[in-house]
Amino acid sequence: MISLPTRGDDWRLMGRTARLVLGVPTYALGGLVAAALALTGFVLSQNLALTSDVVAGRVPASVVPQLYPFVGTSYGPLTGSVVVLVSLLVGVDVALVAYHVREHRLSAGGSGGSVVGVLLGTLGAGCAACGSAVLAGLLSLVGAAGVLTLLPLDGLEFALLALAALVLSIHWLADGMRGGEIRGCPVDLKE
Amino acid sequence: MTDDAIAAGRTTRRGVLAGGVSLLGAGCLGGTGGGDTDTPSLTDHPVGGNLGEQPTLGPDPAEATATIVAFEDPSCPRCAAFESSTVPEIRSELVEPGTAAFVSRTIPVVYPWGEPAIQALEATYARDADAFWALLDHYFDEQDAFDAANVLDRTESFLHDETDVDATAVVADAESEAYDDAVQIDRSAGEAADVSATPTVFLFRDGQYRTRATGSVSFDLVTRALEL
Repeated sequence: MISLPTRGDDWRLMGRTARLVLGVPTYALGGLVAAALALTGFVLSQNLALTSDVVAGRVPASVVPQLYPFVGTSYGPLTGSVVVLVSLLVGVDVALVAYHVREHRLSAGGSGGSVVGVLLGTLGAGCAACGSAVLAGLLSLVGAAGVLTLLPLDGLEFALLALAALVLSIHWLADGMRGGEIRGCPVDLKE
Repeated sequence: MTDDAIAAGRTTRRGVLAGGVSLLGAGCLGGTGGGDTDTPSLTDHPVGGNLGEQPTLGPDPAEATATIVAFEDPSCPRCAAFESSTVPEIRSELVEPGTAAFVSRTIPVVYPWGEPAIQALEATYARDADAFWALLDHYFDEQDAFDAANVLDRTESFLHDETDVDATAVVADAESEAYDDAVQIDRSAGEAADVSATPTVFLFRDGQYRTRATGSVSFDLVTRALEL
């Protein structure tokens, strides 16, 4: 049976686990780097042609910050907030996976949810930013372009799915770390 | 259930999810990338064809310091954001001083009402360029009010009330797709340039292709890319 974070204790466990792991400077820094990379990946994936022109020196590098939420205008306040939140959760997720694998000496095989989260995050950022236009093209391949009208948030739905996937991943990771110790503290809420 | 069985179940579930998402992701993100390795001139670039017949603000693109060719869909929410956040500055800071030409190309890619709207835009442009820009602004300003059932009625009302063009004739031409050739020219230019998302702007400096950007990009991005 799939374990879902339906109880208050589940959310408190996730928060406690994340707080304990991110309390280790190395993992906090690693999570921050992962979040920055995720955000960069999300925003640059929307403009690979522009990115390659910057790398090739045809366009000044000063255009790159303009692609980020709250710096440029590519994302509205809501979409930008969700994309940043997704990126931060990717950072938390990566830090938890790294801690789980390194400190608890477990394989990363059970942490595939974070990969799904990152993939959903990319899809969500992409669709939210381009107004679902490309998704419309994809759906039209199966004669279902009208399905877009069923997406009242104009593609933001995919970013919200990414959020859900990341939350699930963090929940599963925290659940998997239950019974262990982080920095000498028991993960479980029952202390 | 054993730990191994649980792990196997999770792997399968996640594998299916990841596979599906990868497929969708490839579709969603494809087409926005693939940078050109050369820098063609405005006349050689796929989006530079038939520019003389396109709605253009500012100086002649062939002589302008910079040219911005924008692919937009009247029904695209991010295009509406681009029109409200960036285009006003492009008009006041670049077009009006004569530094840049702004060329509009319309392609229907988002919602179904964009298609008849674009037919109406071409029918309007054939009669009066000013009315074209007014109608385009109207579509973006009132975007939420339009759907496939009311777009031509609302178009007729707007043109009748706010412009001098024959609104009834424009709507009749839109319904019969009398200016479909013009619609197809933009559509072909978009396909040739691999435009699959809107808004997408192509930036040219001194007649040479500089870069392209997708999304409601900022005015600063445009000016920095064009080094203006």
